[in-house]
Amino acid sequence: MTTLDFVSVRKTFGPTVALESLDLSVKEGELISLLGPSGCGKTTALRIAAGFEFADSGAVLVSNADITRTPAHKRNMGMVFQSYSLFPNLTVANNVDFGLRTRKMNATDRHRRVAEILDLVQLIHLADRYPHQISGGQAQRVALARALAVQPEVLLLDEPLSALDAKVRTTLRDEIRRIQTELGITTLFVTHDQEEALAISDRIGVMSNGRLEQLDTPREVYRNPSSAFVARFVGSMNELPATVAGNHAVRVGEHAVMVSQTTQADGSPIRLLVRPEDLRLVDDGGLPGTVTTCTFQGSATVLGVRLDVLDVVVAVYVAGIADLAPGERVEVAIDGQRAVCESIS
Amino acid sequence: MIPVVVEPEIGGPPTAPTSGAPLGVGRPRSRFGRLVPNVVLVVSAVFFAMPLLALARFALQNVPTVLLGWDTLFDKWSLKGVTGVFKEEQFWASLRLSLKLAFGTVLITLFLLLPTAVWVHLRVPKARSFVEFVTVLPYMIPAIALVAGIVVIKPQARWFLNSDLSLIPFYVVLALPFTYRSFDAGLKALDLRTLVDASRSLGAGWGTTVMKVLVPNLRTSIIYASFLTAAVVMGEYTLADTLLIESLPPFQQKFVGREPQAGYGVNLLALVSTTLLFAMVALLTRKRDPKRKTFARAAANAALTSDKAQNNT
Amino acid sequence: MTDINLAVGGRTGNGAAPKARRSWAWLGLVPFFAFLFLFLIVPAISVFSNAVRTEDGLSLSAMGEAFSGQNRSAFWFSIRFSAIAAATGVVLGTLLAYAAATATRPRWLRNVVTSFSGVAANMGGLPLAFAFLTLLGRQGVLTKMLDEGLGIDLYGGDFDLGSVRGLVIVYSYFNIPLMVLITLPAIDGLKQSWREACANLGGTSFTFWRRVGLPVLAPSLMGGFLLLFANSFSAYATAAVLTDNSKIVSRRIGFFLGGDVSIGEDAVGYALAAWMIIITAVAMLFYWLARKRAERWQS
Repeated sequence: MTTLDFVSVRKTFGPTVALESLDLSVKEGELISLLGPSGCGKTTALRIAAGFEFADSGAVLVSNADITRTPAHKRNMGMVFQSYSLFPNLTVANNVDFGLRTRKMNATDRHRRVAEILDLVQLIHLADRYPHQISGGQAQRVALARALAVQPEVLLLDEPLSALDAKVRTTLRDEIRRIQTELGITTLFVTHDQEEALAISDRIGVMSNGRLEQLDTPREVYRNPSSAFVARFVGSMNELPATVAGNHAVRVGEHAVMVSQTTQADGSPIRLLVRPEDLRLVDDGGLPGTVTTCTFQGSATVLGVRLDVLDVVVAVYVAGIADLAPGERVEVAIDGQRAVCESIS
Repeated sequence: MIPVVVEPEIGGPPTAPTSGAPLGVGRPRSRFGRLVPNVVLVVSAVFFAMPLLALARFALQNVPTVLLGWDTLFDKWSLKGVTGVFKEEQFWASLRLSLKLAFGTVLITLFLLLPTAVWVHLRVPKARSFVEFVTVLPYMIPAIALVAGIVVIKPQARWFLNSDLSLIPFYVVLALPFTYRSFDAGLKALDLRTLVDASRSLGAGWGTTVMKVLVPNLRTSIIYASFLTAAVVMGEYTLADTLLIESLPPFQQKFVGREPQAGYGVNLLALVSTTLLFAMVALLTRKRDPKRKTFARAAANAALTSDKAQNNT
Repeated sequence: MTDINLAVGGRTGNGAAPKARRSWAWLGLVPFFAFLFLFLIVPAISVFSNAVRTEDGLSLSAMGEAFSGQNRSAFWFSIRFSAIAAATGVVLGTLLAYAAATATRPRWLRNVVTSFSGVAANMGGLPLAFAFLTLLGRQGVLTKMLDEGLGIDLYGGDFDLGSVRGLVIVYSYFNIPLMVLITLPAIDGLKQSWREACANLGGTSFTFWRRVGLPVLAPSLMGGFLLLFANSFSAYATAAVLTDNSKIVSRRIGFFLGGDVSIGEDAVGYALAAWMIIITAVAMLFYWLARKRAERWQS
């Protein structure tokens, strides 16, 4: 069983710092997603693991063996690229057995293994097709099969679903997770889509500007974001101007809201980041406001409410269908348990 | 020789394409890995420069090769070799004729091929492969064979072929493969249907649509095709010489026999002019500097900076 | 839907039956096809018609004669040097294209190579031939340098600009840039992710080129060879200036045509031209097929 470790890995490209000092341990059989916006360093980290870039300093360990300087073709990792990585002049079957050939496996074993792995991704009927004859979703499954055929120690995926249609994305995402769990293979998954990360990961590493902001289970990252960046990037957030009023309270307009913790000094202005589902409509005792929009989204309704005091429009999730029209008066109560207080610098 | 330009990329000539990460970027590469390509580049540069330098030396230095040595290396350099040709009346006559031929060829190319290309893209998309094949036909018939055919017809068509300008339609044919290809590539890069529909729905007539919508967007292709055609016509020898038409290239060749140094000088001039022509093309078809400040950019920047604080999923 | 019409044969047919509309549209191509027919097809056909005409009517004797004796050795010579020139151009051109495509510093390098290739491939054979005369001709600068500097007497041996070796050298000047122009897009089309995937699966550079790179480039390389072959075979101006070697087929035809256009009833001359057309056409046909194949992988 394999572990993958980044130890103080630092990488710069000229003046740009892609990775400041990355410390990350992927446990055996675990799927960790690196999540973040473009330029945050997640792809760089992946490429360093694969051997396509070399770290400036720090170490990369696979099962505690130092592979920092090992060339890419000597590492035993499987990689799935974002798109177009299948060799166009080879059939699906020949693509899949490419890695087996370089390892000098004999023909009989190769055929058997290819059949096995194509069966796993349910594409055995396409074995003799060429890449230009199959769809994008199928191509990515072939890419996955090709990466797994050599039984790598680690599986690396570089935004494998970004180039696909929405519907295909969800099915393929679940299939990748299913196969990964079935094989128990240690996996590093890079994506900018937080929904994807939340759906399939054992743990999520949220990155920004070359730094790992938070590394936690999906639930924790969502409900207890460790920084304003993570809070905003994962899920959506309302932002309310507020003032600190003690260690566990802030003042929003005239109302006091209990929060888990404040780090700023009393009286200092902050932004209170609250999830739409932590806002509730109450009959009285809440912040008064006017409904601006009412958008039915199937399982929930999103209300836009303009709060009188602050002239800010907040999004409020209401389960099911809400019978409210723009212009109606409502009152909004804030549950600050999981809110994040962001300093205004 | 077959004049060729190949696959101008997305609307532009095969100059300055910056698409596609070059292979090997970002991979750990030893200094040694770049050795072979660099050697290739240097050797190529030398190979391609040598004939030009030799020609320039011969034209500009009045020292015969036999006497050339370290001691005579800097003697007798002058522009006389080149300017000598300007005294020749025949030079000017030939030059004028070639210019007329070039101009006529470009004109017909623009007024015949461009509308045809637009027509194919707009109204007869099914014809595209066929037309593409047809444009390769001129490559299949070498110039010397073509002129043999012309010689056959000559008796029947004396009224036409007696004029020097009769070369023009044949030049259009010779230039066809790359001029049509240039227009085709330029059109492919546009969403032609949408542009035309939009223009028409806003009330523009056909003239306006063509002049204000199509032509500006095809600027690169048109410039490239025109200049390349002009260059090829100015250098075309086979047809002109066989049909005894005194355009510039036949003159260039004969003049060398009469006055060697000046003759080579003319040829040097021709080379330099062609190069300048292409330099102009490259200049005119240069990709706009993306950092150039325009209204759209300023607005976009403003939106971005105010959005930063509210950065969200 | 707005019905679009171009100036030629303008007619608004809103709501006309689609089938009728489409067949009318082909009319718009008539000027183009007519032009091509008149100025390309007719001369080409004339060549063939004159090649098979004798006093006694149609006969293939001239075609036969054009391929025998001295003419046959001329064809053999021309095909040979064209093939060698093409092969040289393919190899060196691909190397140069690869060097230019993968160069990252200086950044203007690739542009310079493509621009220069555009010039060199199209600059016309005449000045080029003269340039080579001043370089490698009997009175050439390089000839002299080789003689005095390295003791190599070029013309003491059997070197001649009109020989196979000489022609290959001169023709390479426009063949290599031509190959660069064709091959650069193909090399660009070699995706970096293929290279990385190959490495990731355990393959070295050699593995990559052997199993993916060269196979993918193969249609372009083949097409390039054919284009360069046709180009070299049909070149006239350069050969005319460089040498009076009558083994060059295009020159032979030139001799037959003699510049005196009222004579030229010699069917053999036309037969030579006819054969030339056949050979070039076949080469270009295969070139076109190769291109279609190459484009499949360049999306």
